[in-house]
Amino acid sequence: MLGGFDYVCARSVDEACRLLAEPGDARVLSGGTDLLVEIRNGLRSPGLLVDVKRIDRLRRLETSGAELVIGAAVPLNVLVEHREVRRSFQALADAALSIGTYQLRNRATLAGNLCNASPAADSAPVLLTLDARLSVASPDGMRTIPISELFTGVKRTCLGPADVVTDVRIPTPSKLRRTAFLKQQRIRGHDLAVVNVAGSYAPGDRALRIAVGSCAPTPILLDPVDASGSHEAIAERVVELAEAATEPISDVRASAAYRRAVLPVLLRRLVERLLDGGGDS
Amino acid sequence: MTAELRYVGKPISRDDAVDKVTGAARYTHDLAVPGMLHAALVTSPHASAKIVRIDASAASALPGVRAVLTGGGLDYHLGLYMQDKRILARNVVRYQGEPVVAVAADTLDTAREACRLVRVEYDRLDPVLDPREALAKGSPLVHPDLDTYEHMRGVFFPQPRTNIAHHQKVRKGDFDTAIASADVTLTAKFYNPPVQHVPMETHAAIVQALPVDRAEIWTSSQSPYTVRHLMSVCFGVPHANLRVRVPYVGGGFGGKAGLHLEPLAYVLSKAAGGRPVKVVATREQEFNTLPSRQGLHSTVEIGADRDGVIGALKATYVWDAGAYADYGVNVGRAAAYSGAGPYVVPNCWIDSYVVYTNKIFGTAYRGFGHLEVLWGIERAIDMMARKLAMDPVEFRRANLLREGETTITGEPFTAGHGSPVGCLDAAAQAIAWGRPSDPVDEPYKVRGKGIAMLHKAPAMPTYTSCAAVIKLDEDGAADVLVSGVDYGQGTYTVLKQIAAEELRLPIDSVHVTWDCDTAFSPYDWQTVASRFAYMGGNAVIEAAADCLRQIRDVASSALGVAADEVVCENGTAFVKTDPDRRIPYAQLALGYTFENGNSIGGPIIGRGRYIATGLTHLDPQTGQGLPAQYWTYGAHAVEIEVDTRTGEIEILDIATALDAGKVLNPKLCVGQVVGGVVQGLGSALWEGFVFDKDGRFLNPAFVDYKIPTAKDIPRSTQQILLENPQPGGPYGARGVAEHPMISVPGAIGNALHDALGIEFTTLPLNYERILLAIRGAGEGT
Amino acid sequence: MSHEIFLTVNGQAERATVPASMTLLELLRESLHLTGTKEGCGIGECGACTVLLDGLPVTACLVLAVEADGCEVRTVEGEASDGRLSVLQQAFIDAGAAQCGFCTPGMIMSARALLERSPSPSDGEIVEAIAGNLCRCTGYESIVQAIRRAAESLNGRETRKSGPSLAVNGQAVKRPRRAKARDASRADRPRSTQGGGG
Repeated sequence: MLGGFDYVCARSVDEACRLLAEPGDARVLSGGTDLLVEIRNGLRSPGLLVDVKRIDRLRRLETSGAELVIGAAVPLNVLVEHREVRRSFQALADAALSIGTYQLRNRATLAGNLCNASPAADSAPVLLTLDARLSVASPDGMRTIPISELFTGVKRTCLGPADVVTDVRIPTPSKLRRTAFLKQQRIRGHDLAVVNVAGSYAPGDRALRIAVGSCAPTPILLDPVDASGSHEAIAERVVELAEAATEPISDVRASAAYRRAVLPVLLRRLVERLLDGGGDS
Repeated sequence: MTAELRYVGKPISRDDAVDKVTGAARYTHDLAVPGMLHAALVTSPHASAKIVRIDASAASALPGVRAVLTGGGLDYHLGLYMQDKRILARNVVRYQGEPVVAVAADTLDTAREACRLVRVEYDRLDPVLDPREALAKGSPLVHPDLDTYEHMRGVFFPQPRTNIAHHQKVRKGDFDTAIASADVTLTAKFYNPPVQHVPMETHAAIVQALPVDRAEIWTSSQSPYTVRHLMSVCFGVPHANLRVRVPYVGGGFGGKAGLHLEPLAYVLSKAAGGRPVKVVATREQEFNTLPSRQGLHSTVEIGADRDGVIGALKATYVWDAGAYADYGVNVGRAAAYSGAGPYVVPNCWIDSYVVYTNKIFGTAYRGFGHLEVLWGIERAIDMMARKLAMDPVEFRRANLLREGETTITGEPFTAGHGSPVGCLDAAAQAIAWGRPSDPVDEPYKVRGKGIAMLHKAPAMPTYTSCAAVIKLDEDGAADVLVSGVDYGQGTYTVLKQIAAEELRLPIDSVHVTWDCDTAFSPYDWQTVASRFAYMGGNAVIEAAADCLRQIRDVASSALGVAADEVVCENGTAFVKTDPDRRIPYAQLALGYTFENGNSIGGPIIGRGRYIATGLTHLDPQTGQGLPAQYWTYGAHAVEIEVDTRTGEIEILDIATALDAGKVLNPKLCVGQVVGGVVQGLGSALWEGFVFDKDGRFLNPAFVDYKIPTAKDIPRSTQQILLENPQPGGPYGARGVAEHPMISVPGAIGNALHDALGIEFTTLPLNYERILLAIRGAGEGT
Repeated sequence: MSHEIFLTVNGQAERATVPASMTLLELLRESLHLTGTKEGCGIGECGACTVLLDGLPVTACLVLAVEADGCEVRTVEGEASDGRLSVLQQAFIDAGAAQCGFCTPGMIMSARALLERSPSPSDGEIVEAIAGNLCRCTGYESIVQAIRRAAESLNGRETRKSGPSLAVNGQAVKRPRRAKARDASRADRPRSTQGGGG
C-alpha cells in the first residue's frame, strides 16, 4: 500500500472543490505519476485523494477558433495525438512527448505537469511563450490564472489547497507563428531535463518570446527579446538575457557548468528555428 | 569429433522462454509460503557512526509485528573470502544505507510502519570516503578489528591497523631496470566510479527456520551451495540442515553470488517462532543497501622501446571496496593477475589494494574487476601507441600474447589459449579500421574509431568443482540435475543440447530441471566467472557417458552380445552389426524385464563431475602461479559520433570479437554478447554512484541512475566469434559470459581521442564530461 | 476506508474490496495471484509492471486499484489463449528475446498494445513503444526483432531484415543486412533528444 489515504472519485468540479476545502490534507489525483511517487517516498501524506479523471469537463480537448482547451484530465498521449495539436502546436507536442515514457504519458497530464511545478517541468517553457492560461475552480468560483503567475518557487504554485485546475487554454496562434521546444537530457531514454527551452515568434513580430527551464527555481519567461538585426545579434541577445535571468545550480543531475554551457547552445538553435522556420536535427 | 553435431552449435531456443513469455515463471519475488511474514529495514542515515541507542519499543508493540532485531543480539560473522560482515550493524555503522534494525510483520505495510517507529541515536564519526585517503597514515579505520577476522589464509592478506583488506602483488622480471632503460615511457591515472548491477529482479529471500537448527531457504541467488555453506559456517549448523532452493532468477550479474539477505531472513524467522520470513529489497535498497561494483583508482606506467615493444608495465590499483570486502578481496586478486592486459610484459610490477571506505560495499560484478582494470590499461596502451607514433592496432599486434610467451604470472601461452590477434584483426576489420569515418553533414558532429582488447579467466578457487546427475524417465527421456543457476544466460539450454548430443536422444526428450535444490541437485560452486557452461558441460558429458555405459551394460545382457557391440542412437540401443536387434531406452530406463519376468539392471542414473585442474595459489610476494583454468580473449572496436555542441555521444557501430573456442548455441551466444555490450555501454557512458560530502548516496533510483533503454542502443552491433578450441572445454568451448562488456569503455575512450583529440581517463563518459572537456572546462576528463 | 471495485482482468469479471492506497499492481499480484506482472522499481520508471488498462499500457505501480474500477485490465497471463501462445509470444521465443525473463511480461504488454494501435510499426515506433521497459540482459536488439517479426507475421509479410550480425569463425551466420532498408527504418527513430521527444 502506498500510504494511509482515502480516495473519492469526484463526479463534478464543485464536488471536487468541496472535498478539497474540507479540513485534512486532500489532493487532486489526476495522472498520479508525480503524486503517488511522492506519497510512496514519504514526501507527502495526504489524507484524501480526490480523483478528477471522471469529470467530463476535465476531459475536454478541443479547439474553438480562438483557443485550444486542454482539460486537466487529458492524458499527454491523447494530447499529442490530437490533429490540431500536431498542426498548430507542434512544440507543445514535442514537449509533451519528452515527458517520461509511453506508459507514463497514458496517465500523466499537462495540468499535472504544471501543478507539480518542477523547475524542469517540460510543459512549462512552451506554455509560457504561448501565454497559456489556467482555468481554476474553487469554492469561491472560477478564475483564470496566466501561466506567468503560476510558479512561485521550487515545486510551489500560487494555487490554494481547494483549487482545481479545470483546463489549460492556449490562444490559437496565427499560421505564421513558429514555436519550438528543445531539451537537453543525460540519455536518449526518458529523462528529466538538464536544460529545456522554448520559443515563439512570427515573422514581423517585434520580439521573440523565449522561456527557459531547469536553470532557476521556476521556469522563466524572458522579457520580450528585440527581433531586430541579424540572426546572430538576436541569438546573442537571447543568450545574454537568459544568462542574466537564470542561475543554474549543480545537482545530482548536472553541474552548473554543464547547464551554463548547454543553455546558449540550445538557445542559439532555438532562435535559428524560430527565425528560419526550418528544423535542425 | 568428426561426425556432424545434431544439437551442439545450433541456435536452439530456450525451453524456459515459454514460462517467461506467459508469466508462468515464478521468481522469489513471486513466491509465498503459508504463514509467511514480511520484513522491512531501518538503515543508517550516516556513513560512519557509533550506534548509541536503539529504541524499538513502539515498533515491537505494533499489532502484527512478530520480530524486531538489532545487531546487538546477532553475534554472527559473515563473509565469503573474509568474514568482516555482520547480519545487522553492531555497535557501529559503516555506510549510509547499512541495515540497522529489521522487522518481520504480518504485512509489508505493518513492517514498514514499525520501522518508522524505531528511534536510533547515533554518534557521528568522520567517514573516510576516498580509498586513496583511506590508505594514508592516520586515516579513520573502517575495521579497527581487522586482525580478528577469519579469512582464506594463504590467499588473502588483510593488513591489520590499516584499511587494506587485501594486497595482491605481481612481480615479474625487473621493472625498475626495465623502465629506466626504456626509450619511451608514459604514466597515466584513471578512475572508475562504483556502479550497480541493476538486475530487474531485486534481491529477495524467503527463509523458514525449522526445529532444530534447520532452515528452508528460497532465494534469488546465483549460488545455492555457497548460500548453504556460508550459512552453515555462520550459524554453526550442519550443511544438511539447510535446504536452499533457487527458482527463476531475474538477473544476477554477480550481485547475487554469495550471501545477501538469507541470514537476515533466517534470524527473523527464528525470532518469529519459525514463521517463514520474506525479505525483498526495494529498488532503492538494491542501490543503496545491497552491494555494488567496487570503484577503482588506477595508475599505469608503461615503458617501451622505439620499435614498439613493451618492456615494462607497472600498475597500482586502489579498489574502493566500501564498508565490507568479503567478496571484493577476490576482485582485487583477480585484477592483479590480469592487470597488465593480454600482452607480453617481461617486466611487470602490480600492486592491487582492496581498501575499505565508508560507502556501500562492492561484490562480484560481471567482469570481476576486468572492466575497471582494462579501462586504464587499454587507454594507456593507446596513449603509448600515439607516443610511439604507431597505429594502435599495430602496437597491440606487436605486443599481444602469443605462443612461446608467458603471462605476467608465468603461465605459458599456448595454441589452446585461442587467438588474441585473431580477435584484434576481426574487430578492426569489422569497423574498417584505417579507413576514416564517412563524412558527416553537420559541421558540429565529429566521428572517431577506437579499439580495445579484453581478456579474462574464471577467478575461482583452485578447487572449484561442479557435478551433474542425469536420470532417465520411464519413457526413456532424460532429466539433468545441476545446481548452477540459469539466470538468463541460457546455460541450461546449452546443457540440454550437450546432454541430448551425448545421450543420443532427441533434444525434446531431454530436460534440465529448472529449480535447483540443495537437497536434490548435485553440487556446483557458484554460477559466476563464466565457468558454468565449461564445467557444467564437462560434468554433463561425463554423466551422459555414465548413463550410456549403464544402458549398454543392460542392453548387452538383454541382447546377448558384448557391451562393446552395443551402440546407442536416437534413444535406442542396438547391436552394431545387426541393427534390427534393438531396445529403446524406455525399456531400459528402470531396468530390463525378460519375457519370463526376470529383471536386470535398475533405474539408470548417470553421474558426472568436473574439478578445476592444475590451478595453484599465487605466490604472495610475486603473484606467480597458475590462477586460470582457461583464458578467453577478445576485442571491441567502435565507431562513435559526438555532437560537439552538447557532448552527446552516439555509438554508430560496435564490433565484438571473442574467441569462444566453440559456439555452443549461436542464438544464446549472440544474446549474451549484445546484452553485455549494452551493459558495458551503461558503464561507459552513464552509470556511476554519486555521493555527497558526507558519504550519502544521492542517486539510488532510476530517476538519477540511468541505464540504457531501447533508445540508447548502438545503431549497429556486430558479433564475431572465433572458434579456436579450448583443450578441456566441452566441444572446445570457453566461457564468454562476462567478456562482452569488459572493454566497451576502453574502446569508446580510445574512439573519443580519435574524434576529439582529448584523453579521457574518468568514467562515465557522459555528455557533461565530454562537453566540458571540449570546452576545456571540465574537472575530470 | 475500503472500496468495492469491479473490473475485468484478462476477460474475467473480478470483484474486490480494496483499501484506497492499494495499487493495481498489488491487486493483481497479491489479491488475484497473477504474479506475471512484476515490480521493478515502484515509481513508474522501469516498466516491469506494464499492464493494459482499457487497452492502454500503464505502469500498474502508479495506478490505484480503485482507479481501475469499471476498467478492463489485461496482463501477460491473458496473452496466450486456450493454452496456445500468441504470435507475439512465439516471436519472443524464436528471437531469443527473453533472457532472465523479468522484464518480459512488461515488454509483451507494451508490444501487444503497440501492435493493436499500429499493426505495421516501424523500428522507430517499436523502440518508442518499449523505451519505457528497462532490460538489463538482452540489449534490446532481440526484443525489437521479435516485435518486428510478430508484426510481419500478423500482417502476412515475410521479411529479410536481419537482427544482430554474427560471424562464427569468419562465416556470417545471419542473413546479410540490407543496408538501405535498415537505414530507412532508422530514419524515423527519434534521433535527437531535443524537441523530438526524449
